Amino acid sequence: MRLETSRFGAIDVGEEDVLTFTQPIIGFQDFRRFVLLRGADATEVSWLQSTEAGDLAFILMDPRSVVSDYAVQLGAGELAELAVNAPAELEVFTLVVVPADPSQVRTNLKAPILVNRRQRLAKQTILENSAYPVRFVLAQAGSRPREEVSHARADA
Amino acid sequence: MLVLTRRENESIMIGDTIEVKLLDVKDHQVKIGIAAPRDVAVHRKEVYLAIQAENEQAARAPKSKDLPKLIPG
Repeated sequence: MRLETSRFGAIDVGEEDVLTFTQPIIGFQDFRRFVLLRGADATEVSWLQSTEAGDLAFILMDPRSVVSDYAVQLGAGELAELAVNAPAELEVFTLVVVPADPSQVRTNLKAPILVNRRQRLAKQTILENSAYPVRFVLAQAGSRPREEVSHARADA
Repeated sequence: MLVLTRRENESIMIGDTIEVKLLDVKDHQVKIGIAAPRDVAVHRKEVYLAIQAENEQAARAPKSKDLPKLIPG
């Protein structure tokens, strides 16, 4: 099918690319179907484009690119909701907010987007018992160079 | 708003499937247990509102000049 989008123009997506949200992105109850898009450049962000509203899209990122030990704890019910059989089937993204001041670009670590691409299911969950912030400014993650982090991981 | 008085370990049913149980009352804190079907999301209101507001900000993502490619499934 062809989507007319405000950001990307007309794009062709297959029905098999469409994710259905079992729980909506909070505040966007009327929009349950999205496709994952990757920017043509080499940036690490993806886009979540609504198939129901051409002007509704979110920027997604891999939270581990800023918080290397980011982890979500999910109950059996939530895994069943997304038809996840093995942890590797689950992808975890966080929503990015890009304000006018580029130093304040932030991501929501408290309410990640969970995706099971094989089953084409997704949801926004709230990590009720975690201390992750709703507003995590990416610039504050730069205190440790990434190379150093990967070394630390290899030593562990 | 419906107002009901409950003691510890007493419950309220909302419809046929949602149970709200008063587990513990101590000083100015009340511990509440909620049993609800999987498709009913239960959240602390202030957290819910904060996330709703942040999602609205996230939906104002700038336009991209780059034509995106589908991530292969």
